[in-house]
Amino acid sequence: MITFSNVSKKYSRDSAALHEINIKIPTGDFVSIVGQSGAGKSTMLKLISAEERPTNGKIVIDGWDITKIKKWQVPHLRRQIGVVFQDFKLLPKKSTYENVAFAMEVGGARTREIRESVPHILKLVNLTNKATAYPGELSGGEKQRVAIARALAYKPQILLADEPTGNLDALHSWDIVQLLIKINKLGTTVLLATHNNDIVNALKKRVLTLSQGKVVADKKSGTYKL
Amino acid sequence: MIGVSFFRVSKAALQNSWRNVWLTLATLVIMTITLLVVLLLYYANIFGLEVIKDIEQKVDLSVTFKDGISEQQVNEVAKTVSSRSDVQGVQIISSEQALEIFKQRNIDKPFIEESLKELEENPLPASMFIVAKEPKFYEAIAGFLGTDRFAEIIDEIHFEDSRLIIERLISLIETIKNAGLIISAVFAGLVVLIMFNTVRLAIYSFREEIDIMHLVGASRWFIRGPFVIESILVALISVVMANAIAWPIIKAVAPTLTTFFFEGHIQGEPFDIYVHTLDNWPNIVGLQLAVAVGLAMFSSIIALQRYLKS
Repeated sequence: MITFSNVSKKYSRDSAALHEINIKIPTGDFVSIVGQSGAGKSTMLKLISAEERPTNGKIVIDGWDITKIKKWQVPHLRRQIGVVFQDFKLLPKKSTYENVAFAMEVGGARTREIRESVPHILKLVNLTNKATAYPGELSGGEKQRVAIARALAYKPQILLADEPTGNLDALHSWDIVQLLIKINKLGTTVLLATHNNDIVNALKKRVLTLSQGKVVADKKSGTYKL
Repeated sequence: MIGVSFFRVSKAALQNSWRNVWLTLATLVIMTITLLVVLLLYYANIFGLEVIKDIEQKVDLSVTFKDGISEQQVNEVAKTVSSRSDVQGVQIISSEQALEIFKQRNIDKPFIEESLKELEENPLPASMFIVAKEPKFYEAIAGFLGTDRFAEIIDEIHFEDSRLIIERLISLIETIKNAGLIISAVFAGLVVLIMFNTVRLAIYSFREEIDIMHLVGASRWFIRGPFVIESILVALISVVMANAIAWPIIKAVAPTLTTFFFEGHIQGEPFDIYVHTLDNWPNIVGLQLAVAVGLAMFSSIIALQRYLKS
């Protein structure tokens, strides 16, 4: 369960990126976060991954108040949260396998565990046949699947996807969304920040609509409306 | 687990060094020069102190007795002088002993032997060597021996005031130490600057990896460790290089230095800088390690604080 209680985030005195947000996201939920650019979608995800700290309010993840999380605790939190970005953030000099393995290596996973887990994860994202390919040899959709595979390296409870289809064509976008649905069905809470109304409408899942840092709509099976 | 972690962090440290190989080499060279200056400073200090000790040990005050002075009179003078609180020891050389020493020294000169045979009496007077507890006491002892009390007994007083030499030596050593400290500080500053930039560039060239490390929850040790290990590695290699350069030089110059500075050494073996190095290598290498690792850690930690925001 992710709980936002009166959460506000200000980057400067005059502008609030988020303003008194109160939401509850149960474990295993699939939530699309929609809104125009600057509405506060990315800020919301950054607050969950402790990349940013709220100016006011409290954020609790599975009973853990991360509002005043200590620096040394951040890595522990991040191993429970997978993050996917629009620009993939892959290492160009590492193969698909190595990109996923790298995430596990720096997290301190044992070599044996890495050897066993990475093929499973690549199979889940349907990239077994691209294990030795480098990012430069992959399509946009495949790159995003590598990024998702990397995010799944620690079997996270939460997956944050910030505009994961922003750089992809319709076909590949839908491919990625299908993958996110599959991951969600395996029990992972998925938060998808997107501009893509077709995807949101087709998903028929919970939709949080943000506008100027405020939640203006929270529909259980919503559509993309601004 | 710790072993695996250390292996991965060390591997990343080697990758860091390789990506900025020229900068790493530059750091290595400057660090090695700094250590050589520190070594020079160390040896100048040790050597200077040994030279001073040697000068202090040398007999600076001797007297020769007049002809016809009996052994008893000589012993009485020796007893009186020995009883002074500023005198460490007295050595009497009788005229017979003096003759024997003279003969030994000129054993390869037959004409001297023949000349001595021509003389009916021993021409060499008895003498006495006095060692003071401290060099500053010699003047007072010489003054005491020059009083009327001994005028009928003592023929000549040979006194060379070494205080001036010692003072000059101390001053020279201080100058070398100060100059060495300034040079060391300049090189240490260079090491810090270069190491700082090496780490900064390494952070820049690893920015993508670092971003991802943050993203996937890599520990602080995994992110910062490679940079710290890289700098320690540079420090260790420069210690090896500095010693590889210094030791053969020390070995080569040691005999010349010993001959030049410690000729006529009285007690025990004269100071040998190479023997000193062999006897004290843990301290010498330890000093270098402390300087090198200290500088490396300091500069890399400052660079990490400045450029690696968590």
